[in-house]
Amino acid sequence: MNSWWRAWMRWTLVLAAAAGMGSVFSRANPRPREQARQTAPQVTFNRDIAPIIFGACASCHQPGEAGPFPLLTYEEVKRHARQIAEVTRARTMPPWLPEPQELRLADEMRLADAQIRTIQEWAEDGSVEGDPADLPPPPRPAEGWRLGKPDLILTAERPLVLAPTGTDTYWNFIFHVPITETRWVKAVEIHPGDKRYVHHANILVDRSRSSRHKEAEPGAGFGGMEIRIESQVFDPDSHMLFWKPGTVPSVEPDGMALRLDKGTDLILNTHMQPSGKTEIIQPSIGLYFTSKPATKFPMLLQLEDDAKLNIPPEQRNFVVTDEFTLPTDVELLAIYPHAHYLGKDIQAFATLPDGSKKTLIHILHWNLSWQAVYRYAQPVLLPKGTTIALRYVYDNSDENPLNPNHPPVRVKAGNRSSDEMCHLWLQVLPVNYDRAQGDPRMRLQEALARHDVANDPRDFEAHYNLAAMEQAKGRLDDATKEYEAALQLRPGDAVANNAMGAALLAAGRPEKAVPYLSQALKTRPDYLEAHYNLGTAYSAESDFEDAAQQLHLVLQLQPDDADAEANLGSALAEMGRFPEAKSHFERALQINPNHSLAKENLEELQRQMSDR
Amino acid sequence: MVSITLACLFQVLMAHAQQTALDLDGRPVNPFTIAAGKVVVLVFLRQDCPVSSRYAPVIRRISAQYSREASFWLVYPDRSETPQSIRKYLGDYGYRLPALRDPDRALVQQARAEITPEAAVFDRNRQLVYHGRIDNWYLEFGRARPAPTTHELNNAIQAALTGKPLPQSSVKGVGCYISDLQ
Repeated sequence: MNSWWRAWMRWTLVLAAAAGMGSVFSRANPRPREQARQTAPQVTFNRDIAPIIFGACASCHQPGEAGPFPLLTYEEVKRHARQIAEVTRARTMPPWLPEPQELRLADEMRLADAQIRTIQEWAEDGSVEGDPADLPPPPRPAEGWRLGKPDLILTAERPLVLAPTGTDTYWNFIFHVPITETRWVKAVEIHPGDKRYVHHANILVDRSRSSRHKEAEPGAGFGGMEIRIESQVFDPDSHMLFWKPGTVPSVEPDGMALRLDKGTDLILNTHMQPSGKTEIIQPSIGLYFTSKPATKFPMLLQLEDDAKLNIPPEQRNFVVTDEFTLPTDVELLAIYPHAHYLGKDIQAFATLPDGSKKTLIHILHWNLSWQAVYRYAQPVLLPKGTTIALRYVYDNSDENPLNPNHPPVRVKAGNRSSDEMCHLWLQVLPVNYDRAQGDPRMRLQEALARHDVANDPRDFEAHYNLAAMEQAKGRLDDATKEYEAALQLRPGDAVANNAMGAALLAAGRPEKAVPYLSQALKTRPDYLEAHYNLGTAYSAESDFEDAAQQLHLVLQLQPDDADAEANLGSALAEMGRFPEAKSHFERALQINPNHSLAKENLEELQRQMSDR
Repeated sequence: MVSITLACLFQVLMAHAQQTALDLDGRPVNPFTIAAGKVVVLVFLRQDCPVSSRYAPVIRRISAQYSREASFWLVYPDRSETPQSIRKYLGDYGYRLPALRDPDRALVQQARAEITPEAAVFDRNRQLVYHGRIDNWYLEFGRARPAPTTHELNNAIQAALTGKPLPQSSVKGVGCYISDLQ
């Protein structure tokens, strides 16, 4: 066997394991002007009510936005006066779940008590219009793209036809991003289709097209509330790209752009409610590029303790707690708590090394319908050694009107809306770290994976993620041990079998890798990465015929894969089929002119061909 | 004998008061004099009330279930809703029920309706048996159960048909206040 032949290896990690990522791009809702109690006897619309409504309600309550009716004129507001009084008194509107707290949240949509009193008085006293001279200008209409024309607009290939009735619908749209080179995204604007019926939507970045196989046919999209995204290398999710009613996109700070590579898919995970008639939902996404690559690398940490979710029927106060200690200094940028319909009281707090305790979020009356990503008004410094704790309370009794089971049944963790979840996502930016110690995000990810394994030794994904971390650090023995533990829990899992195969390949044991890779393909015959790795394993065993066959399959699934072209060229070269090999090296270089392996191998091939 | 006379007199008076409800061609209609012998159900709706609209499949289902025994009418109390817009709404939401405009709130008063959506059930003697919510699907605005666990409208129709008394003749619902309208 010629010594010049090399192949590139790839493997698969699952890092972002769930749905519900939310965004940094949340809403810049102008804070309503504080209402001083007027000495004048009568509360009027023009003077007292319009400033509150225009500031706190009209961003959604205008044509084309999420609010079911506009609130831009006296007549429009008066038509709902008692209703507005009722919903503001109950604080169901504007929808803002968190309790007031010391660590201020950005874009808070919370009315002051005095404002609520003013609205009550106005509705009770006959909803008087008042002096036209007092009327402030109505808010600017929010039409089209808020951030101007996007550099790239992606529209869902096929709309979803939302049935008139039934329970809430969870649907995922896959957007193929037609870029030919890596781009940096400074802002994402989500147009969820019809804002009146889409309750929230969030984008998951799928860097390896790992969701496409879930579609019944290409472009069809797929159902499901919680989805799992696979990722090729250590490349943790960094941004929460979330839309809810009232969200206005914002531009990322300099240096925090999101990387988008060629071949990346964006998955839009949506939650919709039937309207009473058939609705056509066709979302689109606007991308805004910047020439400035990222220099700061935030990551998303997921705390979860789903293993403890085993809630007996009629249990009214089922408490789940979890704690995680930070192995490095971070700035906390945003937080996203997530539970389903049994969630009641949701809290997260941080205990700093000096013993001080800070509430990160407290939602006294959890409501999945208004779930959101909350950004902090200022980044919150959490030093190494800080313990982040969550405390979620669940109500599985019949007294919880949102209980999906009637009568109540035992509920465990799961991805269906009738299952439960105990998740807390944090967007953190590592700070004050020593570069010599490596990527601080890896330390965070590893600490989290160890914490998850300790929490639940039967947690497949925890073992898997820990294995992936070990593998990324080159500790292949530890990696294979953890993959083995994962595979004991799910012997047929395609992703874990493929990753185990890749780890064994990296450890120079191709003969041991082949059975795992074959199992991965048995479970998922169109699994591109497993074909690729199996091709690599066969090559390493000098079985170039089978290697070439696997790489041909890769190229059938993904015709523009430069690595596969280069490796196929190598396999053919090994078999002495030089002209064919040459054309594949050339094709690899056509796809990626900088492909160093293809370049080196092509040069070597040309030398050998001229030597003949 | 006496009671029959009183009942007739009552009907005559009511018929007079109902002259103001209009069909979509602008003709006065009295829903109580049509379909004699049937229970009458009025459902008050408003196009800009999302709770009203989400109930469309429920209202269609119940009206189909009782099509032999009950005469269903959709009533639009908002003066600003035109016959054209109501026709479009009926088409959009798949309604095949007769619709009335009630600009003078004659039916609203008779049914003692306060919000949309709200249902009123009159027995065969045109006595108001029940008015209020259709079921307990909604808890408050923006907060609905996965499915209702009580079915007030259905129970009220049953009561009107059988003459059995209801535990409550009115249950407040979640919706948009009619009194806020012009």
